[in-house]
Amino acid sequence: MKYAFLVAWREYAESAKTKGFWISLFMFPAILFLSVQVPIFLHEKGTPTRYFVLVDQSGDFEAVLSETLDASYQKQLFGALKDYARKNSAKPGGDQATGDDTPQSVKAFLKNGGQEPFLKSLQPWLKPNAPAFKAPRRDLVRAPLPPGLDSKTDLATLARDLKPYLRGDKQLVVNGQSSGLYAAILIPRDIQNQIVRPNSPKAPASGAPTGEAGSVSGNTPVPAGIQYWSTDVTPAKEGSGLPHEIEQAVNNEIHRGEYLSRGVDVAALRQVEQIYAPLVSLNPKKETGQEAVNTADIVKQWAPSAFVYLLWVAVFAINQMLLSNTIEEKSNRIIEVLLSSVTPGELMMGKLAGIAAIGLTMIGGWMVAVFAVLSWKSGGASDIAGHVLTVLKTSNLVPLFSVYFLLGYLLYGGLILSLGSVCNTLKEAQSYMGVLTMLLMVPLLTMTYIPRDPNGTVARVFSWIPIYTPFTMMNRAGADPPLIDLIGTLVLLLATTGAVLWMSGKIFRIGILRTGQPPKIIEMLRWIRG
Amino acid sequence: MPKDTIEIEPPATAPVLELRNVTKFFGDFKAVDDVNFTLLPGSICGFLGPNGAGKTTTIRMILDILKPSSGSLTVLGHSSALEVRQRIGYLPEEKGLYKKMKTWAVIAYFATLKGLTRKDAKRRAFELLEKYGLKDFAEKPTDALSKGMGQKVQMLASLAHDPEFVILDEPFSGLDPLNQQVMEEIIRDMVRCNRTVLFSTHVMQHAERLCDRILLIAKGKMIFDGTISDAKRTIPRRVRIQTEDPIGPLRALEEVVDARLVPLAGADGHPNGHDGHTQWELELRENADPQHILQTCFAQRIRLDSFNQSEPTLHEVFMRLVGPETKEVVRQ
Repeated sequence: MKYAFLVAWREYAESAKTKGFWISLFMFPAILFLSVQVPIFLHEKGTPTRYFVLVDQSGDFEAVLSETLDASYQKQLFGALKDYARKNSAKPGGDQATGDDTPQSVKAFLKNGGQEPFLKSLQPWLKPNAPAFKAPRRDLVRAPLPPGLDSKTDLATLARDLKPYLRGDKQLVVNGQSSGLYAAILIPRDIQNQIVRPNSPKAPASGAPTGEAGSVSGNTPVPAGIQYWSTDVTPAKEGSGLPHEIEQAVNNEIHRGEYLSRGVDVAALRQVEQIYAPLVSLNPKKETGQEAVNTADIVKQWAPSAFVYLLWVAVFAINQMLLSNTIEEKSNRIIEVLLSSVTPGELMMGKLAGIAAIGLTMIGGWMVAVFAVLSWKSGGASDIAGHVLTVLKTSNLVPLFSVYFLLGYLLYGGLILSLGSVCNTLKEAQSYMGVLTMLLMVPLLTMTYIPRDPNGTVARVFSWIPIYTPFTMMNRAGADPPLIDLIGTLVLLLATTGAVLWMSGKIFRIGILRTGQPPKIIEMLRWIRG
Repeated sequence: MPKDTIEIEPPATAPVLELRNVTKFFGDFKAVDDVNFTLLPGSICGFLGPNGAGKTTTIRMILDILKPSSGSLTVLGHSSALEVRQRIGYLPEEKGLYKKMKTWAVIAYFATLKGLTRKDAKRRAFELLEKYGLKDFAEKPTDALSKGMGQKVQMLASLAHDPEFVILDEPFSGLDPLNQQVMEEIIRDMVRCNRTVLFSTHVMQHAERLCDRILLIAKGKMIFDGTISDAKRTIPRRVRIQTEDPIGPLRALEEVVDARLVPLAGADGHPNGHDGHTQWELELRENADPQHILQTCFAQRIRLDSFNQSEPTLHEVFMRLVGPETKEVVRQ
């Protein structure tokens, strides 16, 4: 054991000095940090305030649209206030005073007067040194029509005149600052005639109706309806963002008008629309009285996917290290000196242990980074970072991850050591590694599927295939798999790992001193039998 | 082990190494065939043989890296060299070092594997590097070393734990003459300290200068085991004479087995010198006295420009013994 420890220590110390190790150690925290910070930074700094113009020649929707767009900002403001409350409340649960983040609570927030009353009610909960609240910048701001353009001009002309601004050839001047025009929303005068009524005899025979908008260039007619002009086509196609909000607001208003025209009591209708029977999702595996599925449960079910990815990266990265170290010793003929001092078993054990320690150090570093980033980003128990942190602290995910990492590493490490011992160069080993890599790709492909049905047939089948057990069981860890799966697959994995290491020892002992062409499979089987 | 048990080391005169009927097969190929020999403490023994003769396989069996197919061996009184790994040093034929490790760290690492504590191993590494002129490279990675330096470092790594028995597989290969001399000095130092050295080489001059005994192996079989003088006696004695007279009377002598022309130094391959002088090599029977040849020259008025009764070189012995014409196994 002493000699195996000496080999392990050298492997550890030398691998810890390599650039690859430090890159792996810091790459993940850096990616984690950047994936959290870059979107925030881009949102805060990278996305400029976007200006749009709204021309409603019908005069029916201007007010409702302004109201909708303001409500959208108020929702953003409410979110920011809640975030501020979470981060700056002196007492745990202080942020709870602000209520849940539901459409009803946003309405209540607006009904109560918005930001100022909210901040006033928050005051008793705030830390003494809490910074002043900074309201988020409005992403979308309505701009007046550029000078020289008249909102009463026909839409085709207006659209033609706005195009240079939309394309960025001309700039708007808003509050003395020049800026590009992000979008133009043009509502035709006869929008009421262009409303599509599928079951009405007045509806056009086929296709979308065309209205007075006519054509901009005089060639192709512009489809009837509200015109949303913008060079950014993504939100319009995805059914989200500004065009979606406009479409929804206008149609709600049209529905309201229609109800009125048909003599329906709109107030009663709205009231009826708010009636619902709540559906509570319950998990029988949870403690009595706490069976309701909450956000933390969802996080718990999906968090293992991240661990599977980490497990995959860790197993793959450090086995590469193991392979290159073994081939270095073999190709340099250092192996012969080593074998005059240690037995092949001690050498193999030492190498596996040393590289395992490197892997654990790397994973330890990653875990510290995960906890640090989550703690930094978590303002309380109710945000996603807080949920993830709670899940990590209270569940068995981290210990399970460590166990599956070690067993997965040893299983694949045994195969890699056999491979390294029979190959003379890394190039020679790469062709065999290709097969192993393809086998290792399967857990990545099933990674997102398994949490959707963590105790389904596919998940269970993969769990019982030892080379996939660490990844699949890790993936299922959040969904409390049956005990038979948990214990049974672990025992099978342990037995398989033991068998693989035993066979690897046999191959390693002979292969490591062999030169020339790598042996055929049948020859290796003979070594194992012998 | 119980406290009152005393481990009894073999007496100092006991063989350091003993091989009895050691045979090794790789599949159907017999790499080592029934090899027997012993090494006594303090001896320096050359292990000679052509490529593929079985030297490295024998050495690997001695070190317990490979197991013999049959036969047995003991190293320092133990059946496995690994049991006495702290007392054995080994320099393999194909040298290699960890490229990114510091020079002192490589020596220290191998020394710790041979039982030294980390502190002692480090101290010893610096001591050796200083002694053999590599102190300036101690903190450099080994890939900054030249081939010769790297080989010296590996040699030092095999000696850092001050082993009693050292096995060196081709220690001189790839070294320039200056470094070969340094390597010879290292080996002599070990012998002066009463260490036992077994080394394999292709360079007969090294064996001739260093060894008091040689083992010759060919096609897996031991074909010679004895001193260098014994080895030289296995091929006929020769004398070289340079004369312009006919040597018929010498050919007629009973001691002379054969006489052949040999090129003169400086001649362009032609046996005759530029002034008509000729050099002859006379092969003598075993126990023949070269003085009798000289007397015959005087008696028969054969005028001599030179008379040289040289011993055969070890190279000649080697070529003769392992050459295709050698059929018979010579045993001393």
